[in-house]
Amino acid sequence: MLIGDVFSLMSEQKDFFINLTLEHLQISLIAIVFAIIVGLILGIIVSEYQRNKWILSIINFVYTIPSIALFGFLIPFTGIGDISAIIALIVYALLPMVRGTHSGIVNIDKNIIEAAKGMGSTKFQILYKIKLPLALPHIMSSIRTMVVMTIALTGIAAFIGAGGLGVAIYRGITTNNIVMTLAGSILIAALAIIVDFLLSQIEKLTKYDEPHRRFLHKYNLINKKTVIGVLLIIICILAANQFLTTSEENTINIATKPMTEQYIIGAMLEELIESESDLNVDLTTGVGGGTSNIQPGMLKGDFDLYPEYTGTGWMEVLKEDGIYNESLFNDLQSKYNDEYDFSWVGMYGFDDTYGIAVTKEVADKYNLSTYSDLASVSNELKFGAEYDFYEREDGYDALCEEYGFNFKSTTDLDIGLKYNAIKENKIDVMNVFTTDGQLNDPNIVVLKDDKEFYPSYLCANVVRNEVLEEHPELKNILLKLEGAISAEDMSRMNYEVEIEKKEPKDVAHEFLVLKGLV
Amino acid sequence: MSVAIEFKNINKSFDEKKVINNFNLEIDKGDFITIIGSSGSGKTTILKMINALIKPDNGQVIVNGEDVSKIDVVDLRRNIGYAIQGNVLFPHLSVKDNIAYVPKLLNKNNSEKSEEAVKKWMKIVNLEEELLERMPYELSGGQSQRVGIARSLAASPDILLMDEPFGAVDAITRLKLQEEIKRIHNETKITIVFITHDINEALILGDKVLIINEGQIEQYGPPLEIKNNPSTDYVKRIIGNV
Repeated sequence: MLIGDVFSLMSEQKDFFINLTLEHLQISLIAIVFAIIVGLILGIIVSEYQRNKWILSIINFVYTIPSIALFGFLIPFTGIGDISAIIALIVYALLPMVRGTHSGIVNIDKNIIEAAKGMGSTKFQILYKIKLPLALPHIMSSIRTMVVMTIALTGIAAFIGAGGLGVAIYRGITTNNIVMTLAGSILIAALAIIVDFLLSQIEKLTKYDEPHRRFLHKYNLINKKTVIGVLLIIICILAANQFLTTSEENTINIATKPMTEQYIIGAMLEELIESESDLNVDLTTGVGGGTSNIQPGMLKGDFDLYPEYTGTGWMEVLKEDGIYNESLFNDLQSKYNDEYDFSWVGMYGFDDTYGIAVTKEVADKYNLSTYSDLASVSNELKFGAEYDFYEREDGYDALCEEYGFNFKSTTDLDIGLKYNAIKENKIDVMNVFTTDGQLNDPNIVVLKDDKEFYPSYLCANVVRNEVLEEHPELKNILLKLEGAISAEDMSRMNYEVEIEKKEPKDVAHEFLVLKGLV
Repeated sequence: MSVAIEFKNINKSFDEKKVINNFNLEIDKGDFITIIGSSGSGKTTILKMINALIKPDNGQVIVNGEDVSKIDVVDLRRNIGYAIQGNVLFPHLSVKDNIAYVPKLLNKNNSEKSEEAVKKWMKIVNLEEELLERMPYELSGGQSQRVGIARSLAASPDILLMDEPFGAVDAITRLKLQEEIKRIHNETKITIVFITHDINEALILGDKVLIINEGQIEQYGPPLEIKNNPSTDYVKRIIGNV
């Protein structure tokens, strides 16, 4: 039944998935080609000169860095998007390549090498006439492992705003759409299996003790010309693709955080801007890590605007002390202007602040209605929140201090997985956002912040001033949405996407029509 | 008769252990020399000094009048055939490409010339032409050795070094190969230095036999002389069961 849903989703949104699959292949392929070239060269250097063994240690070390952390490291240097993803993928792909090349070369029978040497081969001739062909089956099987790994890992690249099928998975997770997540996963698995099969056929041809090899030999299929030719063709295709997809001047690059409401707002902005002006919108939805990865992208100019919350800007971006309230807005605006040359434009009108929710069962059992009620029984309850809640100044620690909470355990969870976790009783208490669509659920009870601990998080657009100057019409378009969306509107739209499984694009369109904006 | 290979006051140690001790020898052009000695006697070390795979600690190795430490070793090796024990054909190359290996290194852009050399040497070592496209794993032990010999001779070197080339084949094949290498020597008149651990093989094949022990020459002379006048107890023991 679920599988049926997956296939009907795939056929409904055929173009979306085909596009993601092509992007996925492109990102993987670029990383694979570079990893093969660089990995072979490094592998040869390590095996030919023993003193270069340290290269292997470094590559081993880098391989142990968790992929998400590595993606995060790269963003300040190479920005959000495909380039960071490709670099990270190459770095991971190097280990199997270098190791495979190295062990392929050093395990060759010493007598064979000495025979070649004794017959008057130079060091380089021994390398390319004897060592590399003999190591080829080994190298080919490393390439196979590496390619499958890279195709799978490319799924994570969506986390830092790169394209590919990870976009579908990530969107599925953040909007609580399991069918979407499954569709993305199945396509990645299918890609990996197909490519692995093709490579296993090629791998057979490289084995010199099997009859296939004679076929290759007879027609001289493995020689310098074919290898260089194939490489050139791949590079040309990739270069042409890069060239054709270069963004035009009249494009506004919009980023959104991985939250359902931001997918909806992103879609609204895209539709509104494109219908009200000649500008094109390039929307990068659901950038992993949210503000911490979008802000560097804004500074680099990869993104022109994104929806942000005032309290987040104050504490997480400006790193100001103290609790934010809207009387500080002028300070916020001028600090953004001075430090980053960004402006806050167009307050949407809803406040997406934190709240604390428990299941109805827990609320009834302990008779909870306020945070102070919760404090007295917190040592019996398990708390869950997304990881940045533990890091924020107004997050977990401050909250515990204010109310004297002392939970039995704490868990890091992705925003999109929290509601499932509480329904499955994996956690008892969680933080929520006041616009969460799933708050409509009668089984979840939001407690009252009786000491008014939480700051204000009004939603507005953060825009680069340079873009506002280049495209003066943009500001007026953004102001059309000022005060247009209440917290109830937002919560209902979130509900439509998360629970009723509507497309963010359709929900955004219906809302714009309702408000008479399109 | 001129000298093809000359060793002058050679010493060599590996890890403090003396392997070759003040070794002096002249090998005449066109001679077929067999070297015999127990394992560890230094016979392979001597052989590998001729094509500079091993360098002496002191002393000179002179090949065709030139000190090998003063010339380009790659050029030197291309003019010296080299066949070693075991099956060390290049497993990823066909019979044809194995034999053509050195000719291709020499005349890179003249594949016709290489092809001619391959066919010529296939015939000389008694290999049927239909084996040309075979891969090494498809050959019998005797065929492999023949290809190995053809490969070492394909660039028409004037010196051929062989390190127990028939060590891994059965007795009948070995007899055939011995006859053939003798015939090839008679036809080509190249200088052959041939290591064996089989005294019969040494006596049958060699124009001169060199018996070494612990890095020093025990006796060097024609087979008859060795048989009739063994100069040391070691030589007597070695030829004892002939």
